[in-house]
Amino acid sequence: MGGLQDSLSKFEAMDLSGQEIRFDGPWISGDEANLKNVLAYFEEATGAKVQYNGSNDFEQLVLVDMKAGNSPNLAAWPQPGTVGELAAQGELVALKDSVKDAVLADYSAGQSWADLGTYAGPNGDANMYGLAYNVNLKSLVWYVPENFEEAGYEIPQTMEELIALTDQIVDDGGTPWCIGMESGGATGWVGTDWIEDIMLRTQPKSVYDQWVSNEIPFNDPRGVNAIETFGFFALNDDYVDGSASSLASIFFGDSPKGLFESPAKCYMHRQASFIPAFFPEAYQGDAVGTDVDFFYFPAYEGKDLGKPVLGGGTLLTMMNESEASHVLMDYLTSPIAHEIWMAGEGFLTPHSKANLEAYSSDVLRKQGEIFLNATTFGFDASDMMPGAIGAGAFWTGMVDYTNGKSAEQVATEIQAAWDAIK
Amino acid sequence: MSKPAERPLARIAASAGLLALVILWIVPTLGLLISSVRDKDALAESGWWTALSASEQTVFERTASPDQQIETADGWVIQGQLEIAATGYTITAFGGSQRTPNEGAPGSTVTLRNGTTLSIDAQGNYRFVSPDEPFTGSRGKRMFFSYEKPASFTLDNYKEVLTEGRLGQAFINTLTVTIPATVIPVLMAAFAAYAFSWMPFKGRNWLFAGVIGLLVVPLQTSLVPLLRLYSDVGNALGFEAKGYAGVWMAHTGFGLPLAIYLMRNYMKSLPKDLIECARVDGASHFHVFTKIVLPLSVPALASFTIFQFLWVWNDLLVALVFLGQAEDQIVLTAQLRALLGTRGSNWEVLTSGAFITIILPLVVFFSLQRFFVRGLVAGSVK
Repeated sequence: MGGLQDSLSKFEAMDLSGQEIRFDGPWISGDEANLKNVLAYFEEATGAKVQYNGSNDFEQLVLVDMKAGNSPNLAAWPQPGTVGELAAQGELVALKDSVKDAVLADYSAGQSWADLGTYAGPNGDANMYGLAYNVNLKSLVWYVPENFEEAGYEIPQTMEELIALTDQIVDDGGTPWCIGMESGGATGWVGTDWIEDIMLRTQPKSVYDQWVSNEIPFNDPRGVNAIETFGFFALNDDYVDGSASSLASIFFGDSPKGLFESPAKCYMHRQASFIPAFFPEAYQGDAVGTDVDFFYFPAYEGKDLGKPVLGGGTLLTMMNESEASHVLMDYLTSPIAHEIWMAGEGFLTPHSKANLEAYSSDVLRKQGEIFLNATTFGFDASDMMPGAIGAGAFWTGMVDYTNGKSAEQVATEIQAAWDAIK
Repeated sequence: MSKPAERPLARIAASAGLLALVILWIVPTLGLLISSVRDKDALAESGWWTALSASEQTVFERTASPDQQIETADGWVIQGQLEIAATGYTITAFGGSQRTPNEGAPGSTVTLRNGTTLSIDAQGNYRFVSPDEPFTGSRGKRMFFSYEKPASFTLDNYKEVLTEGRLGQAFINTLTVTIPATVIPVLMAAFAAYAFSWMPFKGRNWLFAGVIGLLVVPLQTSLVPLLRLYSDVGNALGFEAKGYAGVWMAHTGFGLPLAIYLMRNYMKSLPKDLIECARVDGASHFHVFTKIVLPLSVPALASFTIFQFLWVWNDLLVALVFLGQAEDQIVLTAQLRALLGTRGSNWEVLTSGAFITIILPLVVFFSLQRFFVRGLVAGSVK
């Protein structure tokens, strides 16, 4: 971390002692400890105090606080869809240009990250309200290399190869996929990730963006096709561990465990970068990268769409303005604020000035590189859609789909939910 | 008139019913207890009811690394003993591939890819032979085998909660919330209940009906307006909207209607003569209250204290809304939830955490329970 001192010295010149910042977010336990390390450097340098409140119920609590006129200074949103709604209601403070400039200059594919945080304010003017911080990578397929080796399977480089491999595993008497969609009130999100990944691989990014904003209706043939492609993998009892209709009742955190059984219940599991936390203990830590590894969820060779990457992440917003809060936002765009958490766990960043050496493991570094090299980056669509869709109709639609409704019907129902909120 | 012949039957039926209820209530608790002493991976694999008996486990271990191979007449050989077997377990079957982890009986030899052979005996002594070429790579090869794993339990979950769960501070925070939030409403309700039962004043019954009416106000609907009030007053007077005082007042407000109702009914049932005599002898209301009514109302006070204590102790919602989530204010219930991790990956610690947090409520309940039924029934049955 050679640039550590450089990027801090700017903040050491400021004296914010006596100022307190309230920061609410969804990170708890291990993540909270990492964030506090990041904030500790800021407190040390400036003398300001940051009071972080982490909760699993952050999204509900912060709305209660907001309605009661007691908003925190900063809030970290895992679903940017809400940020757009709050910006339009005038509940958010536009970030300073220095934050936007830093994102444009320092984030790889900076424009797309700036766009992600830019929304129309109460008077219709577009401002940057959200700073992407702590992102995750979704286009990953997890597998046990030795199982592949034993069976003589190669890592598929294209979607065509992945489909061929899926069939071959079935022919060899195995089960290719483990999929689990149960996640309490959020049941179904695993399915939405699949569909978004497929959408990015079958349509250009511009179509994806229009699909997210509903300029293209949800039941457009291109969207229905994405659902059906997911169905090709998920709705075939030979392709998934368990049966297609049981997917909605398998806890998403338990579903990868089939990879590690003897005999293996499945060979592949498509899930985001955070999933190793749910692996059996023997497959956590150093074992990730050797005993269990991942490959990029491949793109179609036949479609000339490059190698798109799907990801999610948290948007930092300012709900209550103060001098120290603006400085903290600046600090969070500096490389050091990323490097400190990179040295911990569960953190990826598109910040190109942050030193890749800071990542605590090769696996994280490999994932970080995928981010930096991504030409087409699609942010999780369900997280960007309004809550009623992205955290409602889309999720339940996936459950309905695995329970036997047709793709057409599901898409039409989700479009009806869109129409209802317009 | 009771018929002696029927009595034993009725008693047996009553006892059987009671027993069934007790079992119904105990089974989930038992399941939680057993889960709390199971290993994380076992928890994810099977239900707690399977934990009490031995189970067949199929796992793998790696051979010694290839740089320890020796060259013999048979070819290149890696040998040694499985760690599991070295700790006393017997191998029941083995295999060299994850697809056929149980193909060989102990002592037999199985042939794998590239002509290599593996044999493992019941004591776990393995011999991996490659007749044609030396083993390569830096890691040992996987050997799959099955063994009978007896029921096993661990205290790791408790250790984790106690060392990393930061429950200590949360415990103190919860006590800081619970004790005043129990004492204040009990005190206020006792005064109010006395007034409602023994101090005649105009509109007393209407006022009492109003208090009873408040019982039906759902707590959830008042959270935002109340916090808004705190926040407005806090802004005007310069204090934080979220804090212990706010949570005490909230719990007091939410608990008072039921408290007044219960205690008023109890106090009303005290002998009228007793209180009138005292009044005639010149005792003031305050005297009557402290010297006569309060000592006689201990069962009602105790039963409401249990109610309120347990409710506040177990409360998550009110504390989430009216307190911050940082270390100095987070309550046990919220801290327990936080143990789950941001994405809910650590749920095994919830079971042990739950057992640790119910200790104090159990102590309170058992020390006050003899008053409980008396206090609840008193006043309602004449």
